[in-house]
Amino acid sequence: MIECRDLVLGYDKAVTKPFNLTIKDNQWIGIIGKNGAGKSTFLKSILGNLSLKAGQLQVFGKLPGNNNTCISYIPQEREINLADKMSGMSLVMNSYRGWKLGLPWSGRSLQRRVNELIDLVGANEYAHRPFMSLSGGQKKRIYLAQALVNQPQLLLLDEPLADLDPHAKQHFIEALQKIHSHRELGLLIISHDMHEIACHLDAFVHFSSTGVHYCETIECVKEDTYVGV
Amino acid sequence: MWAYSFMQNAIIGGIIIATVCGLISVFVILRRTAFAAHALGHMSLTGAAGAALLGFPSMLGQIILNVISAIIMGLMGDKVKKNDLAIGVVLTFVLGLGAYFLFLFQNNYAGGVMGILFGNIFAISSSQIVQLALMGVSILIVMAIISRPLIFASIDPVVAASKNVPLRLLSVVFFVLLALTVSMACQIVGALLVFVLLIIPGAIGMQWGQSIPRIVIISILSSVGAVFSALLISYHYDLPAGFCITMLLCIGYFVGVVREFIGKLC
Repeated sequence: MIECRDLVLGYDKAVTKPFNLTIKDNQWIGIIGKNGAGKSTFLKSILGNLSLKAGQLQVFGKLPGNNNTCISYIPQEREINLADKMSGMSLVMNSYRGWKLGLPWSGRSLQRRVNELIDLVGANEYAHRPFMSLSGGQKKRIYLAQALVNQPQLLLLDEPLADLDPHAKQHFIEALQKIHSHRELGLLIISHDMHEIACHLDAFVHFSSTGVHYCETIECVKEDTYVGV
Repeated sequence: MWAYSFMQNAIIGGIIIATVCGLISVFVILRRTAFAAHALGHMSLTGAAGAALLGFPSMLGQIILNVISAIIMGLMGDKVKKNDLAIGVVLTFVLGLGAYFLFLFQNNYAGGVMGILFGNIFAISSSQIVQLALMGVSILIVMAIISRPLIFASIDPVVAASKNVPLRLLSVVFFVLLALTVSMACQIVGALLVFVLLIIPGAIGMQWGQSIPRIVIISILSSVGAVFSALLISYHYDLPAGFCITMLLCIGYFVGVVREFIGKLC
């Protein structure tokens, strides 16, 4: 799914040392590291939004940016410009193949698909309510449905648990669990609450000052106190 | 009333302009480009003044200047938030230029230029109807082609960018469509009130509609309804059409505000 060879990430300056990494199809990977270690930069580089400082990166066998229709990204910060009365359902519907030209998609098959996704993420109760009136946790589950509407092969989640209360975190993790058991897709998740979702993940990528390492268990990054194991 | 050709032209022209404004105003609000619509209206005056100075029709001057300004605005800021500063810079420059054109023009009759300020729908000629129809159909066709990515990029720009939606190109195309719409709307309500047709129909649509297609339909209906009714009132009571359109749309918006207020109380 993702192949890195002597990859160096960064904006103006490099933020990582050269690293090699292979992530197989449908793996669920937790990305761990201190702030500024290059975690979000890694996700943006996978999308092709940032150019590489050095090395090679292949996503589904192609250069970054060439396969984005099969990747869904939930950014840490975003700007939603919905009208006051528009619902989360509208956000999901209008995100369906939004890159294609033409009139907005509608129809029963899309409606059915969106209903299934809303059900999968457990947002039935409030999917038709005005989106702007929803809580942070409810919005995050709508974002999850939005990310799934284009049937991605890879989900990139940048700190989805940040700013959520324990109850909302639990609901979000349950939604992820359901997605894992119902769908075949890869997942890269950045979180500072990795201990709460570690049991649902296949492996971890640790961004540290010594380099970027692939670990089968979260125990191997135990020395970093912020992981909270 | 219906036998007069000026009234027939006013109604046909008014419906064309109101339909386009109803559609564009939804995106003006969604993309938070109200300031751009306002600025383009003011820039129309400079375009008209420049055209008059060179001996061209004022609408041609408006279109050329508005489209150039729109392209610059679109290129300067591809994200909705950044546009305010970009538009402010372009507006300041163009208004300064307009003041200079009017200074150069002061010894001539400036009626055509001043007509842009307040508009005069009853002065629309048959040839202008053809121009408005061509522009209106072109805008509707382009909007139909780009509507899906434009909606996606407007409501969720960060995720749209991650799907390789060309935000900057869409921004430029939308600003050009907005510029053409402003040039059309100035014929009815003038540069000073163009804001009315580009903001309030969309705002009314958002008060009543819960999805973008419904918002667009309500916006177009309220815009066309207001322009048509305003023309009738204007004819029968000898009131300025621009004033009637503004009042009717503001009343429509106020009804929505009252409805929401009552809804909160119940």
